[in-house]
Amino acid sequence: MSGPKVAVVQFPGVNCEAETLRALQRVGLVAEVFRWTRAPAELEAFDACVLPGGFSYQDRVRAGALAAKHPLVERLARAAERGRPVLGICNGAQVLVEAGLVPGGGTVELALARNRMPGRSGYYARWVHVRVERSRCVFTRALAPGTLLALPVAHGEGRFTSGTPGRIAALARAGQTPLRYADADGALATGFPANPNGAAGAVAAVCNAAGNVLAMMPHPERAQDLGQLSRAIGGAWADRRDEALERAGEAAGRDAASAGPAAHAESPGPGLLLFEGLRLHLEEA
Amino acid sequence: MTPRRTERSVQAWIELIAADPEAVSALAVARTHLPAGEGLAGLRRFRVFELGGRFPPRRETEDLLHRSTRFYNPHKERCMVRMEPADPAPLEPGERAVLVFERDGERREAAERWWRHQTGEAVTVREGVAFVLRFEPGEPAAERTRDLSVLRDRLHGLLCNPHSQEHRTAGAEVPLRWMATPAEGGEA
Repeated sequence: MSGPKVAVVQFPGVNCEAETLRALQRVGLVAEVFRWTRAPAELEAFDACVLPGGFSYQDRVRAGALAAKHPLVERLARAAERGRPVLGICNGAQVLVEAGLVPGGGTVELALARNRMPGRSGYYARWVHVRVERSRCVFTRALAPGTLLALPVAHGEGRFTSGTPGRIAALARAGQTPLRYADADGALATGFPANPNGAAGAVAAVCNAAGNVLAMMPHPERAQDLGQLSRAIGGAWADRRDEALERAGEAAGRDAASAGPAAHAESPGPGLLLFEGLRLHLEEA
Repeated sequence: MTPRRTERSVQAWIELIAADPEAVSALAVARTHLPAGEGLAGLRRFRVFELGGRFPPRRETEDLLHRSTRFYNPHKERCMVRMEPADPAPLEPGERAVLVFERDGERREAAERWWRHQTGEAVTVREGVAFVLRFEPGEPAAERTRDLSVLRDRLHGLLCNPHSQEHRTAGAEVPLRWMATPAEGGEA
């Protein structure tokens, strides 16, 4: 197969590589899992990299802290400087933050701190809405500002924060926060649970200034099918899911052998749009 | 007659009895990938609880800590309690300790509730992680400890991300109320 090649970088403890691989392949990209045992120089053969979610190195010391020191990440950083797209999802985002790839420049300017939630602590999983913001991010390039995506979050340390006062707000002004938590109507999340971790400025994702490196806490690969959407989620995506279900039911009535729950389940979901953005970018590059 | 109890601090250092995978990984990564870690000869990790309030005598306090898994699991971990500033911390001569904890404190409310239920006393419980570093002879230990403590970039710092965490460092003398010590004064 030819076409742009994407490496799904797997450190020990990463556990979302299979669904990430599938999402990339569904949008027409050639993708393969790139394990930490391979020579970092082999990354040069790829046009883009994705760091999937999980618990790299068991979150030892701090989530993402040990993987951020791996020579593969140094190689990734150099590729990113040359404009190669790099996407970090959840634990992958933690690695990018700990490695200083976002907001960029190599110096660590942010942390993904422990969730701050009223009356509870620790790991938290939920479907949320994120709103696409105006930015140069290559992963959201095909989405109009204000677009809402329903995505799941699942993390214990996902609160974007900075020790430098005003830094997060400055990133938002500079267009480096391409996704922010919102309610089902698109208003910026003002509190838990719409903002599931207490992130400053309801920031769900941060990109570098050039827009080719994105660290995001929600899991788009777990929302690549409409059938994956939670029953608890409302808004336009729930309507689309219900419409797809209806269509699948009608199709099943006409031809039960060729249509069924799978037809509805595998309709493209909101998470796939971010991978589509990557494909568009790579095809134009 | 019951001894009078006054406000004081108690520090509990909890260490895995088996080799600590987190310490093993931190040591390996620091030695392999960080310039300041090249002369690192050993690294141990402790969970450190700091309790504030009124406490019974040492034996009883140790027993309370021992009884609740809110603090540690005695089947897998050992605990060393400090109740007086002169009580030694588990550092060997020449070792340096780096305490890391979440900014804005890291209260352990479940542990506080358990303590109150058991003793009737309201105490504060905070938790951090202490990394104890041992360097090769001749290495500038204080300087290297500083370099390894605060994360700056891919080649510098590891133990504390200053954007969400705080750290304190100490040598032979570890303050009993270490988390409350101002950062600038934490260097012993």
